[in-house]
Amino acid sequence: MNLATTPLSWNACLSALRLDRWMMGELDAADAESVGTHLSTCAACSAAVAGMRGVREEVRALPLPPALLGRPPLRRPVPRGAAVAGLGLALAASVLLMLRTEGAGERRKGAGVGLVMYVQHGDEVRRAAPGETVAPGDAVRFAVSTPAPAFVAVLSLDPAGRASVYFPQGPRAAEVPAGAEVPLPLGTRLDATVGEERLLGLFCTAPVELEPIRLALQQARDAAPLPTDCQGLRWSFVKR
Amino acid sequence: MILDAPAIAGLYRSHGHVVLRRARTLLGSEADAREVLQEIFTALVRNPDAVRSAGSIVGWLYQATTHHCLNQLRKARTGARVLELHVRPAMAETGGPRGEAAAEVRRLLALLPDEVAAAVVYHHLDGMTHAEVAELLGCSRRQVGYLLERAQGLWDRAEQTA
Repeated sequence: MNLATTPLSWNACLSALRLDRWMMGELDAADAESVGTHLSTCAACSAAVAGMRGVREEVRALPLPPALLGRPPLRRPVPRGAAVAGLGLALAASVLLMLRTEGAGERRKGAGVGLVMYVQHGDEVRRAAPGETVAPGDAVRFAVSTPAPAFVAVLSLDPAGRASVYFPQGPRAAEVPAGAEVPLPLGTRLDATVGEERLLGLFCTAPVELEPIRLALQQARDAAPLPTDCQGLRWSFVKR
Repeated sequence: MILDAPAIAGLYRSHGHVVLRRARTLLGSEADAREVLQEIFTALVRNPDAVRSAGSIVGWLYQATTHHCLNQLRKARTGARVLELHVRPAMAETGGPRGEAAAEVRRLLALLPDEVAAAVVYHHLDGMTHAEVAELLGCSRRQVGYLLERAQGLWDRAEQTA
C-alpha cells in the first residue's frame, strides 16, 4: 500500500493544518488572504473546510468535560508581556481574547470573557484575527464568550475618528447568556472609510448607557474611561 | 494573563474540533476520539503552561492529538484488542475493503517508531508539506524526508510479513 493513497490519506490541496490555522485566525493577513482566495476556487479544500466547520458545531453541542465545569480557577499569573511574547501573534488571533487580559486601564471582573469577529467577504466567511485586513463592504458579525450572563456592547472608532455602536441597536448594553462564542444577533456591513478601525467590547454587570461611552471613545480614544460596571476588550482591524 | 478553567472551556469550544476530527480519523472509533478530546483539555486544566508556551494553539493541539492517538493505537496493538476495538468496528462503520484498509493503516501506524509514525500522520493523513511537518516535529525538512522514506520501507516490510 502506498502511504499517499491509503483510505485515510488527506485529499485536499492545502494541508489540514493550514486550513485549521486559517479557520482559527492564526495565519498572517497575506497568508489568510491567499488561503481565502484559493478556497473560492477549490472544491476539495472548500469541502475540507466545510467538514471542519461541521465538527466544530458538533463539539460546541457536546457537554463540557467535568474538569472544565465549576472548578475554582487556577490563578497562575505570568509576568506582563512575557506571556504575550511567548504566545505570539498567531495565538493572540484566536485565543488571547478568551483569556483574562491584563490591559492597563481596563477593569477586570470575572474570567474568560472574549470577543471574536467573523468576516464575510463574498461567499466566504472567515474568523478574523486582530489587526487583520478587511475590505469595505465586507459583512462582519461578532461573537462573545462569557462565563456568566453579561450586558455586552461592541463599539467602534473608525479611521476618521468617528465612534459608533455596532451592537446592540438599543441605547444600553444588551444581556447575553453565558457561553463560548455566543453569536451576537446583529451584524454590520463595513463602510468605505479605509484605515485602522478600533473596536471596544464591553462586558458589564449592568445595562449601561452607551451614548456617554461612545462620546468618550470618540474624544479620548483608548484613554476613554470605562464604566465601573464594565471590563473592556480592545481590538483593531484594517480596512483596505 | 490567566489560563483558568473557564478560559480552557472557551478553548475547548473554539478549538476542540481540531482534536476530535483528527482523533476520529486516527482511531476510527467515536468513543475513543471523544475520550482523547476530553483527556487533552482536562490535562490542560492541570497544566496550562503546556499550551501557554506554544507558538500556535492549533499546532500544539495537532501535536497533543497525534501523541495521544498513537499511544492509544499502540496500547490497542496486542492481540485480540485490536480486532475487537478497531478492526471490526472500522469495518462495520465504513464497510467493505475500504474500512478494512483503514484499519490496516492504523495497525501499521502502531508498529512504527514514534517520530516516524508522527511524520506519516502529518504528511499523509493531514496533507502537510515537509516544512509544516518539520515545524511540528522540531526537525529539518531533510530529516522529514528521511523519516518518510523510512516509513514507506517499514510499511512495505510490515505488509509483507502480515
